[in-house]
Amino acid sequence: MNETVAAHATRFVEAVGYPFTSAGRTLATVGFAAVTYALLILSSFPTYSMQMLAAGPGYLDDAVVALTANTYASVGTLALALTVVYAVVTGIAITTAIGRIRHAGEVSARGLSSVLPGLLASGCASCGAGLLGTLGFVGALSTLPFDGNLLRLAGLLLLVAYLSRLGDPRYCAMPSATGGE
Amino acid sequence: MAGPDSSTTRRAMLAGMGTVVAGGGIVYGASRLEGDSADGSASNESNESNGAQLHSSTATTGFGIDLGGHPILGAMDAPVDVYYWSDYQCPFCRRFEQNTFPQLVENHVRPGTVRYVFIQYPYLSESSTTAAIMDRCVWRQVRDADPGRYLDWHSAIFDAQGTKGSGWASRENLLEITAGVEGVDADAVGTCMDEHGTEIEAEIDADVQQARQFGIRGSPAFVLYNREADRAGKLVGAQPYDRFDSAIDRVKDA
Repeated sequence: MNETVAAHATRFVEAVGYPFTSAGRTLATVGFAAVTYALLILSSFPTYSMQMLAAGPGYLDDAVVALTANTYASVGTLALALTVVYAVVTGIAITTAIGRIRHAGEVSARGLSSVLPGLLASGCASCGAGLLGTLGFVGALSTLPFDGNLLRLAGLLLLVAYLSRLGDPRYCAMPSATGGE
Repeated sequence: MAGPDSSTTRRAMLAGMGTVVAGGGIVYGASRLEGDSADGSASNESNESNGAQLHSSTATTGFGIDLGGHPILGAMDAPVDVYYWSDYQCPFCRRFEQNTFPQLVENHVRPGTVRYVFIQYPYLSESSTTAAIMDRCVWRQVRDADPGRYLDWHSAIFDAQGTKGSGWASRENLLEITAGVEGVDADAVGTCMDEHGTEIEAEIDADVQQARQFGIRGSPAFVLYNREADRAGKLVGAQPYDRFDSAIDRVKDA
């Protein structure tokens, strides 16, 4: 059991370290993280974001700044921090997954679906919007435990689990004695 | 869902018909609904006909908004109605109030182009409903003698906005804020809430249901309506002033 945990921890560290093994990978990771953050934040009020972006790409920064301020005001520092961490870990996961494709020619893209809980939880609890609101569940996020922070945390854990299975994509993972991958 | 850069009718909005690309001109056929009365014919308006004055009315607009109980800011013959749904606990509404609303009043309400209709859309918690009921009680109290006091109270509440669940929007705290607004009798407001709270809450619930029929899923939300042309557009969220500016021009010219 302990060996399994240790193997997962090792692979997780390797996976997290991979995007920083070259300048290109680092830049790509930062880019993926920035795009993910923008998507998470913009999805906190989809109808607003769509109207702003439809009016012109010049409104993108206005929308991201306004919704960041709104997320902070409505769900607080912890939720905003979780969103940032979520975006960064997603950036790492995407870069690592691409590395896996390039080096091994296959990837379990299923793990990237871990980003979905974060999207669902990204609605601002105090404006009742977000994807849940758009789907008709107005104010739903207000009723979720800790204004959706548990959902954000669950999504984050799924991403961590994905990375701990992936490891460094340049090397094949060695099965551990207790059944690692 | 209507975009800001286009216009559509109430029926189209109710049906969830989307519009159009930015700058597009798709306009659906006229659809004044049965039972809607022509707006502005009624009632209890203040003597001012221009400028940023507050008015009350019992008319129902061609878009289907019953103006009864809602403060109306601006000239009653302004060509464009802006229906404004908000929740006192919503930080995005506060952002609109502080960053955009003053410019809109100065550049569109005061010159007589737009009249704003304030509609409560409480949905975040019980405290939102408490604040909404208090809003209606304050308006009932001041609308005849000194309607301008409503905006003082409205601004004071948004200025005092705290974190949801912090208790800032409790009845006691809101009444305390009310007591600090000159020209508003907090005790009378409390009495109104006790005596008419249930009836007012039913009216607010009807407003919320109507807003949801219009596809409103968050706040602040706005429908811009050209009464004469029977054309409307929707804006959602605390968008920058220039977005409102262009949307108002587009609806006015529809």
